[in-house]
Amino acid sequence: MSVAGSVLVGAAAVGAGGLLTLLHRTFVAGLALQAVGCVLLAFGGLWALVADETAGLAFTSAFDPRVGVDALSGLFLGILGAVGVAALVFATRYLEPSGKGRTIGALTGLFVLVQALVLVARDPLTFLLAWEAMTLVPAAVILVSRADEPARRSVFFYVALTHLAGAGTWVAILLLASEGAIGDPSVIASGSGVQIAIALAALVGMGAKAGVMPLHVWLPLAHPIAPAHVSALMSGVMIKIAIYGLVRVLVEWLGVLPEWLGVLVLALGALSSVAGVVYALFQHELKRLLAFHSIENIGIIVLGLGACLLLRARGADAWAAFALAAALLHTVNHALFKSLLFLGAGSFERAAGSLELDRLGGLLRRMPWTGGAFFVGAVAIAGLPPLNGFASEWTTLQSLLHVPAYGGVADGTAAAIALAALAATAALAALCFVKVVGLVLLGPARRDAVAHAEEAPGAMRAGVAALAGGCVLLGLAPGLLFGSLVGLAPWSAEAPTTVGLDLPGTGDFRSGGVALALAALVGALALVRGRRVAARAPTWACGQLVERQLDWTSAGFTKPLRLVLEDVLRPEREVAVRTEGGVVTEVAYEGRVPHHFEERLYRPVTALAMYGAHHARRVQGGRLGVYVAYLLGLVLVVLAAAKLGVLG
Amino acid sequence: MSGTAAAATAVQLLGGIALAPLLPGLVQHWKARLQGRRGPTPLQPYRELRRLWGKSAVDVEGAGIVYRLAPSVAAGSIAVAVLLVPVASDAPDLGVGRDALVLAGLLALARFAVAASSWEVANGFALMGASRDLTIAVFVEAALVLALAVAALVSGTTDLVAMIAGTAGSAAWSEPALALGALAFALVVVAETGRQPVDNPDTHLELTMIHEGPLLEYAGRDLALLQWAAAARHWLVLVLAAQVFLPHATDPRVQLGLLPVLLVVLCGALALTETLVAKMRILLAPRLLGIAALVALLGIVTWLVEGA
Repeated sequence: MSVAGSVLVGAAAVGAGGLLTLLHRTFVAGLALQAVGCVLLAFGGLWALVADETAGLAFTSAFDPRVGVDALSGLFLGILGAVGVAALVFATRYLEPSGKGRTIGALTGLFVLVQALVLVARDPLTFLLAWEAMTLVPAAVILVSRADEPARRSVFFYVALTHLAGAGTWVAILLLASEGAIGDPSVIASGSGVQIAIALAALVGMGAKAGVMPLHVWLPLAHPIAPAHVSALMSGVMIKIAIYGLVRVLVEWLGVLPEWLGVLVLALGALSSVAGVVYALFQHELKRLLAFHSIENIGIIVLGLGACLLLRARGADAWAAFALAAALLHTVNHALFKSLLFLGAGSFERAAGSLELDRLGGLLRRMPWTGGAFFVGAVAIAGLPPLNGFASEWTTLQSLLHVPAYGGVADGTAAAIALAALAATAALAALCFVKVVGLVLLGPARRDAVAHAEEAPGAMRAGVAALAGGCVLLGLAPGLLFGSLVGLAPWSAEAPTTVGLDLPGTGDFRSGGVALALAALVGALALVRGRRVAARAPTWACGQLVERQLDWTSAGFTKPLRLVLEDVLRPEREVAVRTEGGVVTEVAYEGRVPHHFEERLYRPVTALAMYGAHHARRVQGGRLGVYVAYLLGLVLVVLAAAKLGVLG
Repeated sequence: MSGTAAAATAVQLLGGIALAPLLPGLVQHWKARLQGRRGPTPLQPYRELRRLWGKSAVDVEGAGIVYRLAPSVAAGSIAVAVLLVPVASDAPDLGVGRDALVLAGLLALARFAVAASSWEVANGFALMGASRDLTIAVFVEAALVLALAVAALVSGTTDLVAMIAGTAGSAAWSEPALALGALAFALVVVAETGRQPVDNPDTHLELTMIHEGPLLEYAGRDLALLQWAAAARHWLVLVLAAQVFLPHATDPRVQLGLLPVLLVVLCGALALTETLVAKMRILLAPRLLGIAALVALLGIVTWLVEGA
């Protein structure tokens, strides 16, 4: 079967499976068929990537619907298929065959299909239509799954922001089409006004869809309220498709961009990664925390893209290709571990009834499979060896480090600052995920419901276990994928062929060797440590009894950082002490870290818009005569303008 | 493999694994002398390790696999880091590569394991230490990566063997950037070894602990592994300080011969700092390390301006 056949049959299977999902009797079979379709999509896509094969038609700037697959589309089809399989297998037990569950199941298939359509679109029309549908389908899923007031508000915010900022995508794609530059990097001159305009428009439109700060505010609202498997697809795949768009426009079609644009991209990436993880740290609900981490990881990917643009502008083609491959490798890695974490969160919610971090605990013992896989995902997202997150963060760090080696003073300094930002981001992510695994998986259960939580059913375990396996595999042998990713650069670059990451100008990250040495040494030390235990004893807390009231909380663990960053974060706290006859009877504490982007940037804009709308309402009198008068006035103005020759 | 390379490998493995406990021992010994006390012999850490190795452990009720594995993971990842960090500019690859940034990842893994274990015992003091350690680590990692970046830019690669060669000889005098990198790295050394003014290794007051906090519940071989890991951290950062950031010879044989002298001098410097400087407020430590990161950044800018 060829690439084209595999992708077409896969898409057909997802579509047919979606229809079957609608029927009560064939509900599970329908989801399974969708999963099979995703396997075929992934297979066809990865084949196109590895064999560097193209199928179907080539890109055109004409409004002439056509589809095709090349290696870059193939990579993202591979991501979509891989995450799709895990999410759909998970959904077979996660969703119930009620009317609501069946609709969500079918919409999941539609969501996979429209994302695939963005990836295979080869003309501006198909691309833009599929792009808009990709925004709307998850909104529909959220509204089907829950229709309460906060959910509707969040969906409104999500749709409004992605459409307003999404205009940037339209501007970029239509400008490219009018220049005839879609699929042809030789058309637009380097440094021309239209090149800058397209690049900036794409950064706004696609950046908003990816969740790049400061256009990210929709993401932590929309992702947490979707059903778990759709959250996995949104965080794992949908925001990555925006990265696909950015790579197409900025790297492939626009030729060499000026340096200041690379610096701008670096700045956006550094802001998103650091601020994303800092706000994630102060979230106390698991899915919302994970959504902020998506912003952080998109920031890391954008840092890689920025390094690529700068290195390309400086003519360092080999390292520019490595930087692009680093960004794409992190895209794959983040898709794997973030969908794993979202699916795991879905299982925990089902088993423990809540995702409030302070109300879980001890789930590793109660749910060893889901908990174990979740632990793997947490170590991977914290960017620690020997898992996949470290491999891509290491290559991104190396790419940033090589910018000053080729660059001038300004862009070299920018890259050095980005380097520090990325190092700090990795450490902050480690802090955050120590907190998450500690509060969710380790220690005592913090509620009785959690103490009786039961392991998720087989299908839900299989979904998370497969993704954890992917994290381990790409951690051990990132070179398997990295070589193909280097080949995606539109300029020629020599790709390394080892399973580790042996790159020129580095000391080589021998991922396999490091993993083997770690496994051997840790295993040996654990063996000689033995299991000799003299006694069991309660925790020593300086003579105090360790009681549930003394349990550490999410806010407590992050307090040192909150105090260090107080000037930036401006946390709010309120302590109310109630005394009765001089005796303290009740102490109420409330604290929060306000989201400054929302409160300082968006609230004034929203307020201004509402103010404008309020005054604009006067014009809308609602009486027919007034509107006829408006029309008459308009016609007169147009006539006068025509008479004066203003209209040409 | 040449004779020098074989000798360098032997020093790297023997020193990193067996001689590492001598370094904190030396610091403690001299610190006591500087403070007018007699103090323990430099061999005291070995005595402690031997005693702990023979003891059985007291497990905390309700602690699970993460608690039991954490000391092995911490010591194991530090041991891999010992395999990674060469002691001279002529040394073979021991199968884990030679990359400076991989070192940062391995140090972070050890830190993660110990911090996660403190959630298992649900001990407020352990968690207090872990959260402080991880908060300070944010600034340490930024400073560490930037300081390594200075040396990497000067020598043109992040390969540690080439970095030792690239910063050897007159480079320490002719590259002002390297001096700024060394200043930043000095503060990283203080933080990674858990010494004053960032942390006080001698404290017995739980409320002030950083690195010691998560170790409170451990005993027996677990504690022995964690103490060895702390000693090996001394080895790693002091070897890097001596062979990359301080002036060192071009000839690998001279490098090897002078390494013990440099390590002893650096231990003396740590002892002197511990005696002269008081521990700073915990929340001020990030500021100090943030300054270290800025100094290293200034080093990179210096290097860029020089080259422009």
